[in-house]
Amino acid sequence: MILPVWTIGQKRAAGVLSGVIAAAVGIALAVGELPVRIAQIWESVLGLAAKKAVPAIVMDIASMVIQCSVIIGFISVAVMFMVWWERKVSAHMQSRLGPMETGGWHGWAQTIADAIKLLLKEDIVPEHASPWVHFLAPVVTFVPAFLCYAALPFGDKTISVDLDVGILYIFAISGISVLGIIMAGWGGGNKYSMLGGLRAAAQSVSYEIPRVLSVVPILMIAGSMKLTAIAAYQSEPVSWLPFLPKWFIFYPFIGQVSFLIFLICSVAETNRTPFDIAEAESELVAGFHTEYSGMKFSFFFLAEYAFVFLSSGMTAALFLGGGSGPLLPSWFWFLIKTFAVVFLFLWFRWTFPRMRVDRLMEFCWKFLLPWSFVNILVTGAWLILR
Amino acid sequence: MIGYFTNIYKVSAALLEGMWVTFKWMFRPSMTVQYPHEKLTPPERFRGTLVFDKDSCTACNLCVKACPTACITLEPYVDPATNKRLAKINWYQIDFGKCNYCRLCEEACPTKPVKSVRHSHGYEWAMTDRKEMNVKWVRP
Amino acid sequence: MTTEVIKIKGADLQTEEMILNLGPQHPSTHGVLRVILKLDGEVIIAAEPEVGYLHRGTEKLAENRTYPQMLVISDRWDYLSAMSNNLVWCLAVEKLLQIKPPEKADHLRVIMVELNRIASHLVFFGTYGIDIGAYTPFLHAFREREKILDLFEEVSGARMTYNYIRIGGVMADLPADWVGKCRSFLEWMKDRFPEYDTLLTGNPIFQDRTKGIGVLSQAQAITYGVTGPNLRGSGINFDLRKDEPYCSYEKFKFDVPTGANGDCWDRYWVRIQEMKESVKIVEQALDGLPAGETNAKVPRILRPPMGETYAQIEAPRGSLGIYTISDANDKPYRVHVRAPSFINLTMLQEILVGQKVSDVVATLGSIDIVLGEVDR
Repeated sequence: MILPVWTIGQKRAAGVLSGVIAAAVGIALAVGELPVRIAQIWESVLGLAAKKAVPAIVMDIASMVIQCSVIIGFISVAVMFMVWWERKVSAHMQSRLGPMETGGWHGWAQTIADAIKLLLKEDIVPEHASPWVHFLAPVVTFVPAFLCYAALPFGDKTISVDLDVGILYIFAISGISVLGIIMAGWGGGNKYSMLGGLRAAAQSVSYEIPRVLSVVPILMIAGSMKLTAIAAYQSEPVSWLPFLPKWFIFYPFIGQVSFLIFLICSVAETNRTPFDIAEAESELVAGFHTEYSGMKFSFFFLAEYAFVFLSSGMTAALFLGGGSGPLLPSWFWFLIKTFAVVFLFLWFRWTFPRMRVDRLMEFCWKFLLPWSFVNILVTGAWLILR
Repeated sequence: MIGYFTNIYKVSAALLEGMWVTFKWMFRPSMTVQYPHEKLTPPERFRGTLVFDKDSCTACNLCVKACPTACITLEPYVDPATNKRLAKINWYQIDFGKCNYCRLCEEACPTKPVKSVRHSHGYEWAMTDRKEMNVKWVRP
Repeated sequence: MTTEVIKIKGADLQTEEMILNLGPQHPSTHGVLRVILKLDGEVIIAAEPEVGYLHRGTEKLAENRTYPQMLVISDRWDYLSAMSNNLVWCLAVEKLLQIKPPEKADHLRVIMVELNRIASHLVFFGTYGIDIGAYTPFLHAFREREKILDLFEEVSGARMTYNYIRIGGVMADLPADWVGKCRSFLEWMKDRFPEYDTLLTGNPIFQDRTKGIGVLSQAQAITYGVTGPNLRGSGINFDLRKDEPYCSYEKFKFDVPTGANGDCWDRYWVRIQEMKESVKIVEQALDGLPAGETNAKVPRILRPPMGETYAQIEAPRGSLGIYTISDANDKPYRVHVRAPSFINLTMLQEILVGQKVSDVVATLGSIDIVLGEVDR
């Protein structure tokens, strides 16, 4: 076995990388729990407002606006990081280095440059497109992606709206974005987009079902649809195995089956390889977003990655104990777990070929769905016999 | 029933094996060369851009005949006093827009020990205009 | 394959066919091929490949080129295996001139052509992975191909248009240390085959996409004149290297892999096995590399006697043939190229019918065409 040798530059890059990770951990330790910090800051702001006699409703609106912009800002930054990370991971899997120039160190600013390029590009509306549908499709895809984050806990109590039906809300809202994909497929006036949109519709609607059903065992065990409650339920250690945390993924059989079904369906929902038949590059050119360019295209792009992050965050909250973990603050643990799941998404994408449409449906209806029912049955039996 | 489960096992094992291959390669150094910062040296026989030695050329026309795309043109030097063709060139022109980089001209060239027209190791060459591709060597 | 027309009381619902232009601008037509598909939903009811977007008229160009000059043009037919093109042209002209190249030249030709076969099949492996949707095998294959191109660059000075195999021999002897480099590449390559097998060959999704898709029966294969791995994928053991040896191929021991069902999977599998066989052939040729001259005595200006000839070799894509007529001039009177890609492509219209849109790409990829050769 003849293997290439690491050069000094590559060793140095690895050193810098470990330095960056150490710095991130240090910052996380210094900041501490986010809700505490935010409460401190908000109290001082409220004190200032009380001095100037600002009406309470203004402060409420200000609070909402700040929360919204923090979430939007966070998602944009996370998406940019994920795109860069995906490029790097895929490149290293393929014996390449990926972007190396922009920004100096290993092309960290590449996505920022790409985003600026996309925003500045000409917006082309094809002649055969239906203008309103074509215009609204990216919006319909993109807005639900952001709405979902309202109910996603970024660690202990770091959540903007702690809904009682958090999971249901996220599933319901993220389902809307399929509509945007169908609109994009139809409104582009292109046969490839049309095929892509139809495929996306069939795929998303089918995979929604096992995805929801795979979460049911967790709801049965935790007894709540509140994501924070589910995450809190998992933070206690297991009674029968003291060193294992009580994460749902460690529940024998139930946890693993749920996790796998949820993960597979999440990959399918976000239209990524091996389930990317809606935008199958080699078959349908670009699928539903063939006719989009510039800003509108970047909306689809942003929505896809936002959904990847959302799915990973949900996986972390539902199966991996949310923000529970030793030493580091909970939001940092949540990010670590989320990005670990994001890495799984990337790993799948850069390893597997694409499935065929009919096989995809078969896999969903004949394999995932029965198994999720079996899983619910097993959970019910366990809960009764316990 | 057993077949069903063995099938599931086989499929997941095969998928995991594939994932292991990509994972392994992630921690191996890359094979690419970061071009403008590091460059590979071309091998000895590399067919780069053509260079021409206008002093040693004998204007024998062999390269013109050998060229498959007729991208070489030349004019022999005519002595104004005697009105005779000399074994020298007046001008020599290569149209790099047509050049195939095939080495047939170099092989045909009879000058010794160094061929008048030969491939260099240069591979970085860019023109902004089509006219610049016509490179002309003129003997003063 | 037609969908049933659902009759609702009082209303006649009808489905309409859709015509889809696959190409010439499409990411997976491997160049500028256009396939006009008639679709019923996602099912294809008719397919018509249209060629000619890359036509450069090389057969006519040949009538204005001398015999050695034509070598340069031949590099551009099948640009993924230019050595084979060089070889078949040289064999044709040598047949006309009745020259026998020395033994060492034969060995060098075999080494180059087989290395080029590996490089060409690597491109197939990679691009087929992309067609199916896996991106990583593509770059892994190109990483290995790059090493072959480095070897070619050292020996001929170019990476794609080699112009190395010449009439009466080869351009030059191997450079010093080349044999060692080639051997270390072969060792590297042998380690990579198991990885390829796990990445793509053994992948259940990949097998699912290719098995039973685009079936070409033996009778169809013979009717359409299909050659090369496509023919062997259908289970017909025909390989010019065995059946009509040239360049002393009879000296080397290798197997001719054949498929069973003639589907995309078999065509893919045959190519993967052929790469392994090619490694064996190159090793044998390196072991038995004779000493001596690399070139036969060839006159400076070639004027073959009046006559016509047909030479054919087993190129990576099938049997590549050259038909030339000489009128005792230094330029050929007429040249015809039997391009395997072009002839293999004709089967597309028959095997695509009844498949889904996503199978078009899988089938087209498995035929492994090079548009430079299809259109010439």
